[in-house]
Amino acid sequence: MKLAYYPGCVAQESGRELDMATRWVARAVGIELVEFPRFSCCGSGFVDEANEVLNVAINARNLAIAEAAGLDLLTICSTCQGMLTLAQLRLKDPAVRAKVDGALGPLGIRYQGTAKVTHLLRVLVEQVGLEAIRAKVRRPLAGIKVGAFYGCHLLRPSDEMRWESPEEPHAFEDLLKVLGAEPVLYRGRVMCCGFPIQFVKPETAGRIAGHQILDAKAHGAEAMATPCPLCHISLDAYQGPAAKLVGQPLDMPVFHLPQLVALAFGAGPEEIGLSRHLVPTEPIVARLPPPSR
Amino acid sequence: MPTASAIPVPLEVYRFQPGVDAKPSYRRYELELSPHTPVLSALLKVRAEVDPTLSLRYSCRSAICGSCAMRINSKSRLACETPVGPEIERHGRIVVEPMANQPVIRDLVVDQASFWKEYERIEPHLKPDPLHPMPEGRPNPMTPAEVERFHDTPRCIACAACYSACPAVAADPAFPGPMALAKLYRFVVDPRDGAHQDRLVRIQTEGLWLCLRCHLCTEACPKDVRPSERIRDLKEMAIAAQGATEHGSRHAVGFKTNIRAAGTLNESRLVRQTFGVVGMLPQLPHGLAIWRKKPEVAKRPRPIEGADELEKIYEALDPEEPR
Repeated sequence: MKLAYYPGCVAQESGRELDMATRWVARAVGIELVEFPRFSCCGSGFVDEANEVLNVAINARNLAIAEAAGLDLLTICSTCQGMLTLAQLRLKDPAVRAKVDGALGPLGIRYQGTAKVTHLLRVLVEQVGLEAIRAKVRRPLAGIKVGAFYGCHLLRPSDEMRWESPEEPHAFEDLLKVLGAEPVLYRGRVMCCGFPIQFVKPETAGRIAGHQILDAKAHGAEAMATPCPLCHISLDAYQGPAAKLVGQPLDMPVFHLPQLVALAFGAGPEEIGLSRHLVPTEPIVARLPPPSR
Repeated sequence: MPTASAIPVPLEVYRFQPGVDAKPSYRRYELELSPHTPVLSALLKVRAEVDPTLSLRYSCRSAICGSCAMRINSKSRLACETPVGPEIERHGRIVVEPMANQPVIRDLVVDQASFWKEYERIEPHLKPDPLHPMPEGRPNPMTPAEVERFHDTPRCIACAACYSACPAVAADPAFPGPMALAKLYRFVVDPRDGAHQDRLVRIQTEGLWLCLRCHLCTEACPKDVRPSERIRDLKEMAIAAQGATEHGSRHAVGFKTNIRAAGTLNESRLVRQTFGVVGMLPQLPHGLAIWRKKPEVAKRPRPIEGADELEKIYEALDPEEPR
């Protein structure tokens, strides 16, 4: 399987461990990641707030780059997935399309709407397949209770994202089960992590993140996992301030989705950047047996 | 006429009378109902046949009055248009709770004072432009294109399902809630209203930027008003009207200029653009903790290839934006 790899900004900067783990997992399951140094940021929802048509055009350019190579896009971020999908939908409006074509045309860039945009979680569950993943597990995450945290834009608006139920998704939990972990169901798994207002009102953002972590904890989660590096920033990088804001210790290790897959496949913690997390993941990793041969 | 055969419907209903009960409890009622039966009808059956003390709000039973919003299996929605069958199929039971983000008066009835206060605060009425007064005794005509801009929002029935579903309302009393903002949008694009600028300037400081764009309101809305999308529209219009004056608008505009420069995000520069150097100070201690683990946050990222193409796209579609 060959896909245009759209890592997004964070996985190339402060969230490099996500990129490391994605590459590790892609190699293991036979996904060829084709890189395009011309890809730009998706705007992360913020450019959309400032100028909707500009945001669509930026993403039409990203989509056109993959289309020109005849490839579908692979995202590793719920927000990138949401923004690229949103651009595809907005481009169905002839007025928006005309403006965007007017800006891209003179650059020789032509958006056609032929490339699919799919998040790694969906590729793993639906294209690689759960059985193929099960066959590669060398170190089951047995006995680890994991709360999946989906990230808003992978699910909502559900009539635009058109994938799992926005209230009761199960792809992530299905994957966790195949890895040997014990998924924990809690209401917060489909809620917001607070990230969009981390730089608007940090104390409110922190309370929201803290609340979701407490919810996962109350349902027995010993670790959380997310398919979105922005959720990871809220839940891991800003967990310290969140704990102060909710007035309780949280101590919740938070994994990026492919890190857990890689661990179950036998990757070492250093290969997937676990030391880069703010909240130590060692208490979980130490419980795992050495990988079988 | 064929009838759907009845299925067992276990209902678990939140019961609480503040001042009388020490704490809320859930009462279980076992009913046999056709799968098409609305949850509201199930609750009324409980009240008529089992427990006359069950309190709930309802009126039209036709998804028009907006009275019967409640949480059904955790989702905020109208009880009158939620059939029991699919709920039983998915969850095996139906848990009915009062709306969130509003204090309980009794059982499923909540005190909606804060919801309505936010609605009043946006002044939900036309403020005609004194320079273009409404024609006496005649309707003020609008073109179909003008009406089209706000044809979604008048569908709102003020059921408050969005308010109940909203995590920003839950976390911060400064957020007006999705419904109030969707209604505000309706007046901001109404060509007969003369207070567009004032409304946009005011809302920048009155909670607009606390929206998380999580789209939970859009999922909850029984009338497809899509509040989260109208809030996005308001944000863009507020920036156009006044510029970036608040942390939220500074972050959105800062992000936009940031991408123009290199095609990718410069994380520390963006934080500086949003908070200013002095405003960054409270963030510094934790920022340093992040930097120790993730030194890239302080590095200038390598520009993407073809950043000049982005520059041209900005020139075409964002001409107001200064370089």
